[in-house]
Amino acid sequence: MKIIDALHLAYDYIRTDENDKVVEKTRALDNINLSIEAGSFVCVLGHNGSGKSTLAKLINGLNLPSEGTMLVSGRDTKDEKEIWNIRKETGMVFQNPDNQIIASVVEEDVGFGPENIGVPTDEIWTRVNRALEAVDMVPYRMKSPNRLSGGQKQRVAIAGTMAMLPKTIVLDEPTAMLDPSGRKEVIETIRELNQKMGVTIILITHYMEETVDADRIIVMDGGKVVMDGAPREVFCHVEELKAIHMDVPEVTELAWKLQKAGMPVPDAVLTREELVACLQCCLPKQVDFEPNFVKKKPAHMDITDPVIRVRNLSHVYQKGTAMESYALKDVSFEIQRGSIVGFIGHTGSGKSTLTQHLNGLLKATEGTIEVKFRDDTDFRKPRKDQSAKTRKAAQAADAAALVSPDGFLNIYAPDFNMKELRFKVGLVFQYPEYQLFEVDVITDVMFGPKNQGVPEAEARKRAEEALRMVGLGEAFWQKSPFELSGGQKRRVAIAGVLAMRPEVLILDEPTAGLDPAGRDDLFHQIQLLHKQSGMTIVLVSHSMDDVARYTEQVIVLDHGELRMSGTPEEIFKRYLELEEMGLGAPQMTYLIHELKDVGIRFKDRPDTVDEMCAAIVDLWKRYTKSLAGKQPVKTAHDSRTAADGSPAQDGQIKPVAAALQDSREEAGKEDGVC
Amino acid sequence: MLREVTLGQYYPVDSVIHRLDPRVKLLGTVLFLISLFIVKSWIMYGVAALALAILIKISNVPFRFMTRGLKSIVILLLISVSFNLFLTPGEVLVQFWILKITREGLHIALMMGARLILLVLGSSLMTLTTTPNQLTDGLEKGLGVLKKVGVPVHEISMMMSIALRFIPILIEETDKIMKAQQARGADFESGNLLQRAKAMVPILVPLFISAFRRANDLAMAMEARCYHGGEGRTKMKPLRYAARDRIAYTLMFLYLGLSVVSRFVALPF
Repeated sequence: MKIIDALHLAYDYIRTDENDKVVEKTRALDNINLSIEAGSFVCVLGHNGSGKSTLAKLINGLNLPSEGTMLVSGRDTKDEKEIWNIRKETGMVFQNPDNQIIASVVEEDVGFGPENIGVPTDEIWTRVNRALEAVDMVPYRMKSPNRLSGGQKQRVAIAGTMAMLPKTIVLDEPTAMLDPSGRKEVIETIRELNQKMGVTIILITHYMEETVDADRIIVMDGGKVVMDGAPREVFCHVEELKAIHMDVPEVTELAWKLQKAGMPVPDAVLTREELVACLQCCLPKQVDFEPNFVKKKPAHMDITDPVIRVRNLSHVYQKGTAMESYALKDVSFEIQRGSIVGFIGHTGSGKSTLTQHLNGLLKATEGTIEVKFRDDTDFRKPRKDQSAKTRKAAQAADAAALVSPDGFLNIYAPDFNMKELRFKVGLVFQYPEYQLFEVDVITDVMFGPKNQGVPEAEARKRAEEALRMVGLGEAFWQKSPFELSGGQKRRVAIAGVLAMRPEVLILDEPTAGLDPAGRDDLFHQIQLLHKQSGMTIVLVSHSMDDVARYTEQVIVLDHGELRMSGTPEEIFKRYLELEEMGLGAPQMTYLIHELKDVGIRFKDRPDTVDEMCAAIVDLWKRYTKSLAGKQPVKTAHDSRTAADGSPAQDGQIKPVAAALQDSREEAGKEDGVC
Repeated sequence: MLREVTLGQYYPVDSVIHRLDPRVKLLGTVLFLISLFIVKSWIMYGVAALALAILIKISNVPFRFMTRGLKSIVILLLISVSFNLFLTPGEVLVQFWILKITREGLHIALMMGARLILLVLGSSLMTLTTTPNQLTDGLEKGLGVLKKVGVPVHEISMMMSIALRFIPILIEETDKIMKAQQARGADFESGNLLQRAKAMVPILVPLFISAFRRANDLAMAMEARCYHGGEGRTKMKPLRYAARDRIAYTLMFLYLGLSVVSRFVALPF
């Protein structure tokens, strides 16, 4: 049964001037023809500005089509009499969890929808109870939404729509602002609603991993539907997807790259199990066939020239009261000059608190931070600024406290000028675009240098330089920051910190909420920046894949404590511990372990798709060469039976496609198929 | 940390007072305040204090939470008491330099002090036992009559409850923006008044933009959940009077009657 039918749908965003004259008309959707089956799980993909959110708002009549018709259960959204029935039937969940919860108590918020449509009081209570049960939030019903995590808030929002007994729920990037565990929570919840209660789900997302289990994927670009089909059909077209700045799941990408390198890998591999089953058939399992792959050692790890030294840092909130809680507990580490360091930890692990200590916005309750910068800025407080009291204190502690024997400056020495530190250690907050305030881009970027006391002309020069560093040319400088795209705004905000010429740049979740293209762009820019300026960069993230790809040293925080520190390789080796902390590991780490389980071993640990691809292709090439040289099939077969204990077949390798077919049939079972 | 701040000062325990209908508590507070201004006799102040003490005891709210409200008016209390104490003409009791304390002054000052303290304690009792939401509900329902004369009672109470939900969020946001601008070297602490006001621009502009964005999002979310004003709306937690509310009303009016009568009866103090 069709539940949603779009016929020649088009939508224009119209900008008018004061006299209601049309100034600008942007076509956001263009001739969309779609119909969605009741009870299905549909994912809508597309980069920012592709029209997917507009489509979502058309489905429940928040926007009305400029041309064409939108039918929901046969009702036209243009029909004013039907609009409340349509919205009742089509729930909607938005991106920002804070901006869609109305009441100050969870259960009252869930009851808000039924109240609006005039449901009798007793019935509201049953609906609220059922909705809270469906999203597993019953224990939190009396809580204030402000005390919930992002994932929990989104579940409350979902419960709020469920209480209206909808047939369809449209979710507009519900996971974009969440951390990995929150994301998992939300996706599991909606999957359950789809399977157990038969609710039609339309999920708009940027995360490819969330789409793999969908019944159908719709890919949009430039207001049009460009691909439409089952995940396997859509992910066949890796090249086409990349052309419209879309990602594919990492495993799919790896399989596609292997295929391009000539390996017998089928199209559209969606899960790791499939890839493992397929690689099992064409890779050797003897120990002597170890791949030549050697991971490049980061250059900075051998030399010790720290720029920041943190020793036994603790931060206690409300010390001495019953509410005493540790935000940081006895944290010690060093940041090497010129390296890229990753801080990982889930929300509330203390990573943001830690970054704010590094540039002196927060002061530790115990422990010290010492810094040593390249240029010798005077970090002593200017004498005239000091009150009699601090001068006295400074004299008592004097220079000895400020400068340690090996040339490090203690930032907690009474004589230390904290304001100067903020310019040396630039901190870019999460969602930094929200702090833009000036009339044009260049003036906004000049705010930092001007606060440093740099003259106007020099400040302008620094701002221009910083804007070029983030890839924003002259054309942008006079524009208002508010007319730029999300990614561009973020670059302006980063430039605002770069213009102060910091030696250390801290980026707190720099890619949160960006689409895949924006994310890759930004990381590329950061890498370029690092290469050109040799700046030390601290990357705070909860994306393991990003950390694996871009950093040289990783610091793992959990509940305010430093749990691990080392190269990404060393860290991801302990992926089970990471999982315990609710963090997980990069996709490739999991793949390595699953390959190991079937007997394919790697000496060194590739962490990214490209490294993995190189390692596997190299292994495969040497193996096929040796196959051509002697007759290794037998030995390979022997060792395979020894390794995984699967019943020996007659020494023949099945065609890969057939093997894959088997593995798909025996979904879940991981024993050897070949 | 700022999210921990709860608006109002609701003290979450269970008691008869907590369970009373918010309309009863609202009207009760108003009547109590009126009665404090009606009575003139010390005996009646004693009665008021005793009644309040009993109510506080029943409410299960520790007394130190009650006195918290007093801290904020200490200065006001001192000023009004000393003005009355020193500036009321009459029979001089003590003379000290140009300050003289008169019998009438002492009487008025003490009465004023007692009145203020009872006033604050009485309204604290209401805010401590009623959630902000119940308060807005109570106001909406209690002032429902005003709807007939065109006062948008439902809209006002909806605005109040949304404000209650978003104030902590906006406080946290302000804190975040402030830190972000400090990280760019902004200085909010030094300079004269004009410079300080100017330094607020980098905080206020982003804050306003964010507030508008949130308002826009919230309006859309509310519309998507079929909100279309107070018309045809039902309530999940409708206000219904129970037996205890009727008893409370009776006691309240008895007390008010007693206060009125006390004015016309000669009492010894």
